[in-house]
Amino acid sequence: MSSTYDRLVGLLTKGFGVEADEVAPENTFEDLELDSLALVELTLAAQEEFGIPLTDDDLHAKNTMTEAAGVLDAKQVTVR
Amino acid sequence: MSGAAVRRVSGTAAVLCGLGTWLPPHAVTNDDLARELDTSDAWIRSRTGIGTRFIAAPSTATSDLAVEAGRRALKSAEADSVDAVVLATTTPDHPCPATAPLVAAQLGLGTVPAFDVGAVCTGFLYALATGAGLIATGTAGSVLVIGADTYSRILDPADRSTRAIFGDGAGAVVLRSGGADEPGALGPPVLGSDGTGSDLITVRSGGSREPLHTTGPIGTGDGGDAGDTNDAGDAPQPDPYFRMAGKAVFRNAVERMADASLTAARRAGWEVADIDRLVAHQANLRILHAVADRMRLPRHRCPVHLDQVGNTAAASIPLALSHAAATGRLTPGHRTLLTAFGGGLTWGACALRWPALTPM
Repeated sequence: MSSTYDRLVGLLTKGFGVEADEVAPENTFEDLELDSLALVELTLAAQEEFGIPLTDDDLHAKNTMTEAAGVLDAKQVTVR
Repeated sequence: MSGAAVRRVSGTAAVLCGLGTWLPPHAVTNDDLARELDTSDAWIRSRTGIGTRFIAAPSTATSDLAVEAGRRALKSAEADSVDAVVLATTTPDHPCPATAPLVAAQLGLGTVPAFDVGAVCTGFLYALATGAGLIATGTAGSVLVIGADTYSRILDPADRSTRAIFGDGAGAVVLRSGGADEPGALGPPVLGSDGTGSDLITVRSGGSREPLHTTGPIGTGDGGDAGDTNDAGDAPQPDPYFRMAGKAVFRNAVERMADASLTAARRAGWEVADIDRLVAHQANLRILHAVADRMRLPRHRCPVHLDQVGNTAAASIPLALSHAAATGRLTPGHRTLLTAFGGGLTWGACALRWPALTPM
Protein backbone atom coordinates (compact mmCIF):
# COMPACT_ATOMS: atom_id res chain seq x y z
CA MET A 1 0.00 0.00 0.00
CA SER A 2 1.11 3.57 -0.66
CA SER A 3 2.26 5.76 2.17
CA THR A 4 -0.65 8.05 1.30
CA TYR A 5 -3.01 5.21 2.13
CA ASP A 6 -1.24 4.61 5.44
CA ARG A 7 -1.35 8.29 6.32
CA LEU A 8 -5.06 8.41 5.45
CA VAL A 9 -5.71 5.46 7.74
CA GLY A 10 -3.61 7.25 10.36
CA LEU A 11 -5.91 10.29 10.17
CA LEU A 12 -8.97 8.07 10.52
CA THR A 13 -7.62 6.23 13.56
CA LYS A 14 -6.37 9.41 15.22
CA GLY A 15 -9.46 11.57 14.94
CA PHE A 16 -12.48 9.53 13.88
CA GLY A 17 -12.78 6.61 16.25
CA VAL A 18 -11.79 4.07 13.59
CA GLU A 19 -9.54 1.13 14.54
CA ALA A 20 -6.67 0.49 12.09
CA ASP A 21 -7.56 -3.20 11.78
CA GLU A 22 -11.16 -2.28 10.82
CA VAL A 23 -10.01 -0.49 7.68
CA ALA A 24 -9.58 -2.32 4.38
CA PRO A 25 -8.67 -0.76 1.00
CA GLU A 26 -12.12 -1.54 -0.41
CA ASN A 27 -14.01 0.07 2.52
CA THR A 28 -15.88 3.27 1.74
CA PHE A 29 -16.17 6.17 4.18
CA GLU A 30 -19.81 5.20 4.46
CA ASP A 31 -18.78 1.68 5.51
CA LEU A 32 -16.67 3.28 8.25
CA GLU A 33 -19.75 5.24 9.39
CA LEU A 34 -18.31 8.69 8.69
CA ASP A 35 -21.23 11.13 8.44
CA SER A 36 -21.22 14.18 6.16
CA LEU A 37 -19.69 16.45 8.80
CA ALA A 38 -16.98 13.89 9.49
CA LEU A 39 -16.04 14.00 5.81
CA VAL A 40 -15.62 17.77 6.09
CA GLU A 41 -13.51 17.27 9.21
CA LEU A 42 -11.42 14.67 7.39
CA THR A 43 -11.03 17.02 4.40
CA LEU A 44 -9.69 19.74 6.72
CA ALA A 45 -7.37 17.28 8.48
CA ALA A 46 -6.09 15.89 5.16
CA GLN A 47 -5.33 19.41 3.90
CA GLU A 48 -3.08 19.88 6.93
CA GLU A 49 -1.52 16.43 6.80
CA PHE A 50 -0.67 16.50 3.09
CA GLY A 51 -0.23 20.26 2.63
CA ILE A 52 -2.65 20.33 -0.31
CA PRO A 53 -5.84 22.30 -1.01
CA LEU A 54 -8.98 20.15 -1.04
CA THR A 55 -12.55 21.15 -1.93
CA ASP A 56 -15.69 19.71 -0.33
CA ASP A 57 -16.14 17.65 -3.50
CA ASP A 58 -12.82 15.81 -3.38
CA LEU A 59 -13.74 13.17 -0.79
CA HIS A 60 -17.09 11.38 -1.07
CA ALA A 61 -18.97 9.06 1.26
CA LYS A 62 -18.90 6.38 -1.46
CA ASN A 63 -15.14 6.61 -2.09
CA THR A 64 -13.13 3.54 -1.12
CA MET A 65 -9.91 4.11 0.83
CA THR A 66 -7.94 3.23 -2.32
CA GLU A 67 -9.86 5.79 -4.35
CA ALA A 68 -9.45 8.46 -1.67
CA ALA A 69 -5.71 7.81 -1.47
CA GLY A 70 -5.64 8.17 -5.27
CA VAL A 71 -7.36 11.57 -5.07
CA LEU A 72 -4.84 12.72 -2.46
CA ASP A 73 -1.92 11.44 -4.56
CA ALA A 74 -3.17 13.25 -7.64
CA LYS A 75 -3.42 16.51 -5.68
CA GLN A 76 0.09 16.10 -4.32
CA VAL A 77 1.46 15.65 -7.83
CA THR A 78 -0.31 18.86 -8.88
CA VAL A 79 1.16 20.74 -5.95
CA ARG A 80 4.68 19.56 -6.76
CA MET B 1 -21.56 52.82 43.26
CA SER B 2 -25.12 51.96 42.28
CA GLY B 3 -26.88 54.83 40.57
CA ALA B 4 -23.71 56.17 39.02
CA ALA B 5 -22.85 56.60 35.40
CA VAL B 6 -20.16 54.30 34.05
CA ARG B 7 -16.76 55.53 35.18
CA ARG B 8 -15.11 57.40 32.33
CA VAL B 9 -11.41 57.49 31.85
CA SER B 10 -10.33 59.41 28.85
CA GLY B 11 -8.42 57.04 26.63
CA THR B 12 -8.30 55.39 23.31
CA ALA B 13 -9.48 51.89 24.15
CA ALA B 14 -12.92 50.39 24.77
CA VAL B 15 -12.84 48.48 28.04
CA LEU B 16 -15.29 45.68 28.85
CA CYS B 17 -16.55 46.39 32.39
CA GLY B 18 -19.91 44.60 32.78
CA LEU B 19 -21.55 41.33 31.66
CA GLY B 20 -25.15 40.20 31.92
CA THR B 21 -27.17 37.35 30.40
CA TRP B 22 -30.70 36.05 30.24
CA LEU B 23 -32.32 32.81 29.11
CA PRO B 24 -36.04 32.21 28.82
CA PRO B 25 -37.17 29.71 31.47
CA HIS B 26 -38.58 26.94 29.23
CA ALA B 27 -35.99 24.21 28.56
CA VAL B 28 -36.40 21.79 25.64
CA THR B 29 -34.34 18.60 25.92
CA ASN B 30 -33.24 16.31 23.09
CA ASP B 31 -35.78 13.76 24.33
CA ASP B 32 -38.50 16.43 24.04
CA LEU B 33 -37.51 16.94 20.38
CA ALA B 34 -37.38 13.19 19.77
CA ARG B 35 -41.04 12.93 20.77
CA GLU B 36 -41.94 15.31 17.93
CA LEU B 37 -39.33 14.71 15.23
CA ASP B 38 -37.39 11.80 13.73
CA THR B 39 -34.33 12.25 15.93
CA SER B 40 -32.79 11.04 19.18
CA ASP B 41 -30.65 12.25 22.04
CA ALA B 42 -27.69 10.20 20.74
CA TRP B 43 -28.08 11.54 17.17
CA ILE B 44 -28.20 15.18 18.31
CA ARG B 45 -25.35 14.81 20.81
CA SER B 46 -23.01 13.06 18.38
CA ARG B 47 -23.56 15.61 15.62
CA THR B 48 -23.77 18.82 17.64
CA GLY B 49 -22.80 18.27 21.28
CA ILE B 50 -26.08 19.91 22.32
CA GLY B 51 -28.25 18.53 25.12
CA THR B 52 -30.75 21.31 25.94
CA ARG B 53 -31.91 24.61 24.56
CA PHE B 54 -34.27 27.29 25.91
CA ILE B 55 -37.31 28.56 24.05
CA ALA B 56 -39.07 31.88 24.61
CA ALA B 57 -42.76 31.89 25.53
CA PRO B 58 -45.10 33.09 22.75
CA SER B 59 -45.52 36.43 24.53
CA THR B 60 -41.75 36.99 24.77
CA ALA B 61 -39.95 38.83 21.95
CA THR B 62 -36.27 39.56 21.34
CA SER B 63 -36.52 42.95 23.07
CA ASP B 64 -37.76 41.27 26.25
CA LEU B 65 -34.68 39.02 26.35
CA ALA B 66 -32.42 41.97 25.45
CA VAL B 67 -33.82 44.17 28.22
CA GLU B 68 -33.23 41.49 30.86
CA ALA B 69 -29.64 40.89 29.71
CA GLY B 70 -29.00 44.63 29.39
CA ARG B 71 -30.31 45.31 32.89
CA ARG B 72 -27.97 42.68 34.29
CA ALA B 73 -24.97 43.99 32.34
CA LEU B 74 -25.57 47.49 33.70
CA LYS B 75 -25.80 46.07 37.22
CA SER B 76 -22.58 44.11 36.66
CA ALA B 77 -20.91 47.38 35.56
CA GLU B 78 -22.44 49.15 38.58
CA ALA B 79 -24.02 51.72 36.31
CA ASP B 80 -27.51 52.91 35.50
CA SER B 81 -26.74 54.86 32.37
CA VAL B 82 -24.70 54.54 29.17
CA ASP B 83 -24.29 56.81 26.16
CA ALA B 84 -25.40 54.40 23.42
CA VAL B 85 -27.01 51.00 22.82
CA VAL B 86 -26.00 48.64 20.02
CA LEU B 87 -28.12 45.51 19.61
CA ALA B 88 -27.04 42.56 17.46
CA THR B 89 -29.95 40.44 16.30
CA THR B 90 -31.30 38.50 13.33
CA THR B 91 -34.74 38.30 14.92
CA PRO B 92 -35.84 41.87 15.69
CA ASP B 93 -39.27 42.40 17.25
CA HIS B 94 -40.45 43.81 13.89
CA PRO B 95 -38.90 44.33 10.43
CA CYS B 96 -39.26 48.06 11.20
CA PRO B 97 -38.25 49.89 13.37
CA ALA B 98 -35.01 48.62 14.90
CA THR B 99 -35.38 46.95 18.30
CA ALA B 100 -32.55 48.80 20.11
CA PRO B 101 -34.44 52.10 20.71
CA LEU B 102 -37.25 50.20 22.45
CA VAL B 103 -34.71 48.31 24.55
CA ALA B 104 -32.97 51.57 25.49
CA ALA B 105 -36.29 53.12 26.49
CA GLN B 106 -37.31 50.10 28.56
CA LEU B 107 -33.98 50.23 30.35
CA GLY B 108 -34.64 53.87 31.22
CA LEU B 109 -31.67 55.07 29.22
CA GLY B 110 -33.51 58.08 27.78
CA THR B 111 -32.75 59.37 24.30
CA VAL B 112 -29.34 57.84 23.74
CA PRO B 113 -28.43 56.68 20.22
CA ALA B 114 -29.64 53.11 19.76
CA PHE B 115 -29.57 50.90 16.69
CA ASP B 116 -29.48 47.29 15.52
CA VAL B 117 -26.58 45.53 13.83
CA GLY B 118 -27.23 42.57 11.54
CA ALA B 119 -24.42 40.06 11.07
CA VAL B 120 -26.32 36.91 12.03
CA CYS B 121 -24.21 34.74 14.37
CA THR B 122 -21.26 37.15 14.10
CA GLY B 123 -23.57 39.97 15.23
CA PHE B 124 -22.17 40.27 18.74
CA LEU B 125 -18.61 40.83 17.49
CA TYR B 126 -19.78 43.33 14.86
CA ALA B 127 -21.74 45.15 17.58
CA LEU B 128 -18.74 45.04 19.91
CA ALA B 129 -16.52 46.56 17.21
CA THR B 130 -19.21 49.18 16.50
CA GLY B 131 -19.44 50.04 20.20
CA ALA B 132 -15.66 50.35 20.40
CA GLY B 133 -15.83 52.63 17.36
CA LEU B 134 -18.39 54.90 19.05
CA ILE B 135 -15.98 55.21 21.96
CA ALA B 136 -12.93 55.78 19.76
CA THR B 137 -14.64 58.63 17.90
CA GLY B 138 -15.83 60.27 21.10
CA THR B 139 -19.47 59.71 20.15
CA ALA B 140 -19.96 57.85 23.43
CA GLY B 141 -18.03 57.38 26.64
CA SER B 142 -19.83 54.13 27.38
CA VAL B 143 -21.90 51.70 25.30
CA LEU B 144 -24.26 48.85 26.11
CA VAL B 145 -23.66 46.09 23.53
CA ILE B 146 -26.33 43.40 23.43
CA GLY B 147 -26.64 40.18 21.45
CA ALA B 148 -30.19 38.80 21.54
CA ASP B 149 -32.02 36.32 19.36
CA THR B 150 -35.27 34.38 19.33
CA TYR B 151 -34.51 31.81 16.63
CA SER B 152 -37.43 29.64 17.74
CA ARG B 153 -39.59 32.13 15.78
CA ILE B 154 -37.81 31.52 12.45
CA LEU B 155 -37.15 27.76 12.62
CA ASP B 156 -39.10 25.37 10.42
CA PRO B 157 -41.05 23.19 12.87
CA ALA B 158 -40.35 20.17 10.62
CA ASP B 159 -36.57 20.77 10.27
CA ARG B 160 -34.91 18.45 12.77
CA SER B 161 -31.40 19.77 12.14
CA THR B 162 -32.01 23.47 12.86
CA ARG B 163 -34.46 22.75 15.66
CA ALA B 164 -31.84 20.61 17.39
CA ILE B 165 -29.21 23.31 17.13
CA PHE B 166 -30.80 26.67 17.94
CA GLY B 167 -32.08 28.13 21.19
CA ASP B 168 -33.20 31.57 22.36
CA GLY B 169 -31.25 33.88 24.67
CA ALA B 170 -29.53 37.19 25.25
CA GLY B 171 -26.23 38.48 26.55
CA ALA B 172 -24.83 41.96 26.99
CA VAL B 173 -21.65 43.77 27.93
CA VAL B 174 -20.89 47.34 28.92
CA LEU B 175 -17.95 49.05 27.23
CA ARG B 176 -16.38 52.22 28.57
CA SER B 177 -13.59 54.49 27.44
CA GLY B 178 -10.29 53.56 29.01
CA GLY B 179 -6.63 52.76 28.53
CA ALA B 180 -5.30 50.09 26.20
CA ASP B 181 -3.29 48.50 29.03
CA GLU B 182 -6.26 48.01 31.34
CA PRO B 183 -7.76 44.56 31.89
CA GLY B 184 -10.83 44.29 29.64
CA ALA B 185 -9.43 46.61 26.94
CA LEU B 186 -10.42 45.28 23.53
CA GLY B 187 -7.68 44.67 21.00
CA PRO B 188 -8.26 45.73 17.39
CA PRO B 189 -11.31 43.74 16.21
CA VAL B 190 -10.83 41.56 13.12
CA LEU B 191 -13.96 41.45 10.94
CA GLY B 192 -14.70 40.02 7.51
CA SER B 193 -17.46 39.07 5.10
CA ASP B 194 -17.94 37.09 1.90
CA GLY B 195 -21.24 37.74 0.15
CA THR B 196 -20.54 35.09 -2.46
CA GLY B 197 -21.70 32.70 0.27
CA SER B 198 -24.87 34.65 1.05
CA ASP B 199 -27.06 31.70 0.05
CA LEU B 200 -25.55 29.32 2.62
CA ILE B 201 -27.42 30.75 5.64
CA THR B 202 -30.75 32.41 4.86
CA VAL B 203 -34.27 33.42 5.71
CA ARG B 204 -35.22 33.75 2.06
CA SER B 205 -38.57 35.50 2.18
CA GLY B 206 -39.81 38.55 4.00
CA GLY B 207 -37.42 41.13 2.55
CA SER B 208 -37.45 43.30 -0.60
CA ARG B 209 -36.30 40.44 -2.86
CA GLU B 210 -39.17 38.22 -1.85
CA PRO B 211 -41.84 39.99 0.21
CA LEU B 212 -44.22 37.79 2.14
CA HIS B 213 -47.34 39.83 1.38
CA THR B 214 -49.53 38.77 -1.50
CA THR B 215 -50.42 42.13 -3.01
CA GLY B 216 -48.31 43.05 -6.02
CA PRO B 217 -45.46 45.52 -5.71
CA ILE B 218 -46.17 49.22 -6.05
CA GLY B 219 -45.16 50.92 -9.31
CA THR B 220 -45.25 47.93 -11.64
CA GLY B 221 -48.85 48.20 -12.72
CA ASP B 222 -49.15 44.87 -11.02
CA GLY B 223 -50.81 45.94 -7.85
CA GLY B 224 -50.97 48.56 -5.19
CA ASP B 225 -54.77 48.73 -5.27
CA ALA B 226 -56.61 47.39 -2.31
CA GLY B 227 -57.86 43.91 -2.98
CA ASP B 228 -55.55 43.35 -5.94
CA THR B 229 -53.67 40.11 -5.47
CA ASN B 230 -50.42 39.10 -7.01
CA ASP B 231 -50.62 36.31 -9.54
CA ALA B 232 -47.85 34.15 -8.23
CA GLY B 233 -47.51 32.24 -11.53
CA ASP B 234 -44.43 30.03 -11.41
CA ALA B 235 -42.82 31.94 -8.54
CA PRO B 236 -41.55 29.63 -5.79
CA GLN B 237 -43.50 29.38 -2.56
CA PRO B 238 -42.32 31.93 -0.01
CA ASP B 239 -40.02 30.45 2.62
CA PRO B 240 -40.10 32.38 5.89
CA TYR B 241 -37.82 29.94 7.69
CA PHE B 242 -34.14 29.90 8.57
CA ARG B 243 -32.12 27.56 6.31
CA MET B 244 -28.53 26.47 6.55
CA ALA B 245 -26.33 24.44 4.17
CA GLY B 246 -24.70 22.39 6.92
CA LYS B 247 -21.60 20.98 5.23
CA ALA B 248 -20.45 24.17 3.54
CA VAL B 249 -21.21 26.19 6.66
CA PHE B 250 -19.22 23.77 8.82
CA ARG B 251 -16.11 24.12 6.73
CA ASN B 252 -16.34 27.90 6.30
CA ALA B 253 -16.95 28.32 10.02
CA VAL B 254 -13.86 26.33 10.95
CA GLU B 255 -11.55 28.06 8.50
CA ARG B 256 -12.81 31.60 9.06
CA MET B 257 -12.92 31.45 12.87
CA ALA B 258 -9.47 29.87 13.09
CA ASP B 259 -7.91 32.35 10.68
CA ALA B 260 -9.62 35.40 12.27
CA SER B 261 -8.55 34.22 15.73
CA LEU B 262 -4.94 33.82 14.65
CA THR B 263 -5.00 37.32 13.13
CA ALA B 264 -6.53 38.85 16.28
CA ALA B 265 -3.93 37.07 18.42
CA ARG B 266 -1.10 38.30 16.23
CA ARG B 267 -2.41 41.88 16.42
CA ALA B 268 -2.48 41.56 20.20
CA GLY B 269 1.12 40.35 20.12
CA TRP B 270 0.20 36.82 21.28
CA GLU B 271 1.53 33.45 20.15
CA VAL B 272 -0.94 30.55 20.06
CA ALA B 273 0.60 29.24 23.29
CA ASP B 274 -0.27 32.57 24.96
CA ILE B 275 -4.02 32.13 24.34
CA ASP B 276 -5.58 31.05 27.65
CA ARG B 277 -9.18 30.91 26.40
CA LEU B 278 -10.79 30.90 22.98
CA VAL B 279 -14.45 31.76 23.53
CA ALA B 280 -15.98 30.90 20.18
CA HIS B 281 -19.51 31.28 18.89
CA GLN B 282 -21.23 28.14 20.19
CA ALA B 283 -22.27 26.78 16.81
CA ASN B 284 -21.53 23.10 17.20
CA LEU B 285 -19.09 21.19 19.41
CA ARG B 286 -17.41 19.60 16.42
CA ILE B 287 -16.80 23.05 14.92
CA LEU B 288 -15.24 24.24 18.21
CA HIS B 289 -12.92 21.23 18.25
CA ALA B 290 -11.98 21.64 14.60
CA VAL B 291 -11.19 25.35 15.14
CA ALA B 292 -8.93 24.51 18.08
CA ASP B 293 -7.22 21.72 16.11
CA ARG B 294 -6.61 23.98 13.12
CA MET B 295 -5.06 26.60 15.43
CA ARG B 296 -3.07 23.89 17.26
CA LEU B 297 -4.69 25.09 20.46
CA PRO B 298 -5.53 22.50 23.14
CA ARG B 299 -9.27 21.84 22.94
CA HIS B 300 -9.76 22.38 26.67
CA ARG B 301 -8.94 26.06 26.20
CA CYS B 302 -12.24 26.49 24.32
CA PRO B 303 -15.02 26.81 26.91
CA VAL B 304 -18.17 24.89 25.95
CA HIS B 305 -21.65 26.13 26.79
CA LEU B 306 -23.71 24.86 23.86
CA ASP B 307 -24.38 21.54 25.60
CA GLN B 308 -26.67 23.47 27.97
CA VAL B 309 -28.19 26.18 25.74
CA GLY B 310 -27.63 25.22 22.10
CA ASN B 311 -26.61 27.79 19.52
CA THR B 312 -28.08 31.10 20.68
CA ALA B 313 -26.86 33.06 17.63
CA ALA B 314 -25.87 36.64 18.55
CA ALA B 315 -26.18 35.84 22.25
CA SER B 316 -23.78 32.90 22.31
CA ILE B 317 -20.49 34.67 23.09
CA PRO B 318 -21.68 36.69 26.13
CA LEU B 319 -23.58 33.61 27.37
CA ALA B 320 -20.45 31.45 27.02
CA LEU B 321 -18.31 34.12 28.71
CA SER B 322 -20.71 34.34 31.62
CA HIS B 323 -20.89 30.58 32.05
CA ALA B 324 -17.10 30.20 31.83
CA ALA B 325 -16.56 32.97 34.38
CA ALA B 326 -19.22 31.59 36.74
CA THR B 327 -17.68 28.10 36.65
CA GLY B 328 -14.09 29.29 37.09
CA ARG B 329 -13.08 28.35 33.54
CA LEU B 330 -12.39 32.03 32.78
CA THR B 331 -10.58 34.10 35.38
CA PRO B 332 -9.25 37.67 35.55
CA GLY B 333 -6.03 38.05 33.59
CA HIS B 334 -6.78 35.26 31.11
CA ARG B 335 -5.66 36.18 27.61
CA THR B 336 -8.97 35.67 25.89
CA LEU B 337 -9.94 35.53 22.23
CA LEU B 338 -13.54 35.92 21.10
CA THR B 339 -14.47 34.60 17.66
CA ALA B 340 -17.61 34.06 15.64
CA PHE B 341 -18.90 33.07 12.22
CA GLY B 342 -22.34 33.54 10.74
CA GLY B 343 -24.58 34.18 7.78
CA GLY B 344 -23.54 36.77 5.25
CA LEU B 345 -21.12 35.16 5.33
CA THR B 346 -19.53 37.09 8.18
CA TRP B 347 -16.84 36.38 10.74
CA GLY B 348 -14.74 38.12 13.35
CA ALA B 349 -12.40 37.88 16.30
CA CYS B 350 -11.23 40.13 19.12
CA ALA B 351 -8.62 39.83 21.88
CA LEU B 352 -8.84 41.03 25.45
CA ARG B 353 -7.37 40.29 28.85
CA TRP B 354 -10.29 39.11 30.96
CA PRO B 355 -11.17 41.76 33.59
CA ALA B 356 -12.27 41.32 37.20
CA LEU B 357 -16.05 41.59 37.10
CA THR B 358 -19.11 39.80 38.39
CA PRO B 359 -21.40 38.48 35.63
CA MET B 360 -25.05 38.94 36.46
